[in-house]
Amino acid sequence: MKGRKRKDILLNLLPLVSILLFILAWLVVSGGESSLIPTPTAVFERYLKLLEKPISKTSIPGHIWASLKRVLLGLLYGSVFGISFGLLIGWNKTCNRIFKPLFELIRPIPALAWIPLMTLWLGIGETSKVALVFLGTIMPITVNTYTGVRLIPKINIDAARVFGANNVQIITDIVLPSSLSAIIAGVKTALGTAWMVVLAAEMISAKTGLGFMIIRGTDVLDLPLVIFAMILIGVIGACISSLLTIVERKLCPWKSEIN
Amino acid sequence: MEIRNKLELRNISKIFLTRKSYSVAIQQVDLEVRENEFLVLLGPGQCGKTVLLNIVAGLLEQTTGEICIDGAPYSGLNNQIGFIFQSIGIMPWLTVRDNVAIGPKFAGKNKKERYEIAQKNIDLVRLTGFEKHFPRQLSGGMKQRVGIARAYANNPEILLMDEPFGQLDAQTRYAMQDEILRIWNENKRTVIFVTNNIEEAVYLGDRIVLFSSRPMQVKGVYDLTSLERPRDYTDEDFLEIRQKISDNMDLVLE
Repeated sequence: MKGRKRKDILLNLLPLVSILLFILAWLVVSGGESSLIPTPTAVFERYLKLLEKPISKTSIPGHIWASLKRVLLGLLYGSVFGISFGLLIGWNKTCNRIFKPLFELIRPIPALAWIPLMTLWLGIGETSKVALVFLGTIMPITVNTYTGVRLIPKINIDAARVFGANNVQIITDIVLPSSLSAIIAGVKTALGTAWMVVLAAEMISAKTGLGFMIIRGTDVLDLPLVIFAMILIGVIGACISSLLTIVERKLCPWKSEIN
Repeated sequence: MEIRNKLELRNISKIFLTRKSYSVAIQQVDLEVRENEFLVLLGPGQCGKTVLLNIVAGLLEQTTGEICIDGAPYSGLNNQIGFIFQSIGIMPWLTVRDNVAIGPKFAGKNKKERYEIAQKNIDLVRLTGFEKHFPRQLSGGMKQRVGIARAYANNPEILLMDEPFGQLDAQTRYAMQDEILRIWNENKRTVIFVTNNIEEAVYLGDRIVLFSSRPMQVKGVYDLTSLERPRDYTDEDFLEIRQKISDNMDLVLE
């Protein structure tokens, strides 16, 4: 018992140790006046300076919120569209025949390739950025929803029909819950794509946001600023991802481990 | 005493079309099922018993023939018919209670009503205490109990059972055979039970209909009502009827 407990504590400490070791390694390889790798201290000092003198009159939370808003809005629209569209082409044969080939043709085009068109059509404001995120997120969400629907065991559909389900009930009570965890996995993938797209969009034209911070740092060779923004992106991404895991556990209790 | 026919199958055939050819799965089957009897359909594997049951349930359409309940022909799905599947087919995302209450839910009953119905049937199959468990927390035998409770919760007049114990281990299978008889005795329904196991057929059935291998035709009907329950696998009469059916049954090498 006691040995087991000690082992548990050690296992819980391991993530912390690995992060500390990473910072240590960073300390070792960084430093020097003309170094291309700024020290952790330099990055921290840059952070303190940011508190005094914000970039483009926007605080750090302001920049985070600017990017986060674009990500979440795009992801929301992308989810609504992607889930409905995935259900449609997964469930309805006619719709599958009509839309699937078109979708397969558009799917390989990276969201970033849409930047010129989106900028031309929707300007350089918020709309075009959200639209780009939307385009980037619908692909993984649609594909996952579609696959989830396709993998529903026929027996579950048959059983529902025998016990009196109408077509709407089959969708709401069988198809949706059955493919829910595949859909959530799709949203998780889409979240990564969303960050990628939003940063690229901000690097091209923006006055706020984490991507904008990185491009500003590049322009004036302010590497600590670049790294600080990168750290922020990493931390926020990890937070949202674990938030989604909690949501998944709440929505799909049948998947969680027995306690 | 005249015993009423609950279900009648007249001249049922089923032909499956393939790309270049066709195959006859069921060839002109006539069947009469008496009210509240335990009828066993026995046949070698892959002979088309499941196809026949799916036709009765309305999940498949027959090529020829008609099906009557209480003398009235019908087609398609029918809420008087309940189904217990070989692969069980309970919903992994629903708790035991919600699985059992699924028929009442589709029928639009409110939560209180359908949970009352569910509880009654959960008690019937002796799963009391497992209402909030998910299927993956249950053993194979318990899962099929959920399947039985779900079928009963819809209050059907006819219960179709498609090799319901085919996926269970031998020990659980024997226990479940006694369970299904107990449940049927407490809640008499017209039961059509499909199996490829002679011993199971003789243990359970009021009557046994023996089918040939594909294309499926009726080979013989055996009346076992004189064999008293609970039956004994080693009883002389039991073994005799078992042997008689066995001699008449087609051998299929799969």
